[in-house]
Amino acid sequence: MYVLLTNLARMRRRIGLTRQPPASCAIRHVDAGSCNGCEHELIAAGGPRYDLARYGFAITASPRHADVLLVTGPITTRMLEPLRRAYASMPEPRLVAALGDCPLGGGVTAHPHEVAGPLDAVLPVDIRIPGCPPSPDRIAEALREGLAGLPRERRPW
Amino acid sequence: MPEPLRIPADAWRDHLAHDPDAFAGLFAAAGPDGAPEVRAVLVGDAVRIVATPAVDGVVPSVVDLLPAADWDEREATDLYGVRFAGHEPHRALVHHPDDRALWATPVEGRDVHRVPVGPIHAGIIESGHFLFHVVGERVLHVDARLFHKHRGLERAAEGRSPDAALRVLSRACAGCAVTNAVAFCAAVEDAEGRAPDEAVRRYRTLLIELERIWNHLNDVAQICAGVGLTPGTMAFAELKERAQRVCAALTGHRFMFDAVTLAGAPADPGEAARRDAAAEVTDIAAEAAATARQLLFDTSLRDRTTGPGVVDAPTARSLGVVGPAARAAGLAADSRTAATHLWYPEFAPALPPTPHGDVSARLEARWVELNQSAAIAMALLGEPIGPGAVHAADEGDGHGVGIAESPRGRTVCTVELAAGAVRRVHLRTGSYANWPAVALAATRAILPDFPLVNKSFELCYACVDR
Repeated sequence: MYVLLTNLARMRRRIGLTRQPPASCAIRHVDAGSCNGCEHELIAAGGPRYDLARYGFAITASPRHADVLLVTGPITTRMLEPLRRAYASMPEPRLVAALGDCPLGGGVTAHPHEVAGPLDAVLPVDIRIPGCPPSPDRIAEALREGLAGLPRERRPW
Repeated sequence: MPEPLRIPADAWRDHLAHDPDAFAGLFAAAGPDGAPEVRAVLVGDAVRIVATPAVDGVVPSVVDLLPAADWDEREATDLYGVRFAGHEPHRALVHHPDDRALWATPVEGRDVHRVPVGPIHAGIIESGHFLFHVVGERVLHVDARLFHKHRGLERAAEGRSPDAALRVLSRACAGCAVTNAVAFCAAVEDAEGRAPDEAVRRYRTLLIELERIWNHLNDVAQICAGVGLTPGTMAFAELKERAQRVCAALTGHRFMFDAVTLAGAPADPGEAARRDAAAEVTDIAAEAAATARQLLFDTSLRDRTTGPGVVDAPTARSLGVVGPAARAAGLAADSRTAATHLWYPEFAPALPPTPHGDVSARLEARWVELNQSAAIAMALLGEPIGPGAVHAADEGDGHGVGIAESPRGRTVCTVELAAGAVRRVHLRTGSYANWPAVALAATRAILPDFPLVNKSFELCYACVDR
């Protein structure tokens, strides 16, 4: 275990990520019918190579204390109600981000009877992160740009 | 492939009970006259499709003979309205009725209570619902209610050209994108009577093995996460990242989306690119093995992984379990042994050293298979891997089956072409075959072990739900 931890620490120093001044933003992820590609890249974004936490982003287990609802997938009819409930459970002010081409209306070609999307048709979208899937560094960058572009009273800090 | 062998309804059960070949799924389709029928895929020395008509919308159920047909029959009822006589009570699978009695198993008794979980989970996880019936911490039964992500992809692909259908289905699942595309292409080529040349076979095999490498690295990371061993999670997440960069360097995409086509294989990336990729794959495999040795000495990991979630060999055989989960139970089953449309010379299934069918055995299976896949990838990267073409034979319509071994097991794609378009396509992935086994494995565990048992299979929701 000692060797393993040393290797990880060495890798982190080698890739030389820049660190940011502290801020915080809690993100609740909801999969509304994705192919799991955006989930893989979101997990990678939080991993040792990209380290989403250095910007103050944290993935939370509950919508009740989330600042951002991060939605993937084309919004299947079966996920519409759980998605709406997650949004309704969030405190104000709350933001919605669309991760990947699917919630933005591109991406997968689903059967029209099985989807309620795009996300725009269901919830107000504040941040758009296109890509199929967007790469981990692009996710971090787009979240930061998206938040920075919002009027001050809508930002979580 | 010839037309399916059509069997009268009264001989259907007898035929499937006595057929020596292995059952590999069934599904509903429109028969030649447009009336509904049910088709089953049987895999032996050759692959065959057998069919029986739905007389007044009813087909005799085979679920008592072939428990592996359970989800197939329930799906055919929900999506195509075919009822199965003898499959009673019918519990909804794809549809989500509000009334629990219509989809969940009644579990009664003193102190029995229910714990519903999902469809939204606590981490970055795909959506799906589980209903645990428990006494104290002991799980008596689990009802998995998946298909929250059902996008109707098979129906969306139908009516399109094979190329357009491939684009629809290739977005079914990121984790199995290459395998699903290869299985679909093989099915179309089987239907059209075409054969890929050696360059295409080598190219597709390389991509499938690279997909297995990044998936297995991810799965080990997830098992470590399941026991809260963060250093293991992070170390394998880093190795997975490196493997995905190899995929991106060779195909231009981290998940190799759209890299497999019906046209063939692109030009060789060049000796330097292949040498770099081979060196990186070698290094990843060596580092994974060294890290695995570190983890072997972690007592908390060994304590948690040894014992829970057992699927033994007879259960695995009866439920039709495939892939690493079957091999972890000691079954030497791997569809790569018969994959003549791919490139696996002298392939033999790799079994883990202690195939007891528990979480630990499935973890070991990943380590053994990582080395095997790295060796195959390195051999393929030693020679030019393109360009290649798929040779035309008769360009006809008809039925075809394509089989490929995904990181989770045998994936079977069945295609029917008519007038150059896809009339019916059915994708039964390794995850689809294995989900019932996850629910069963969890019944012998305590509730807090479910995430670990689940992660030791690490099945996709996306390509099951489609």
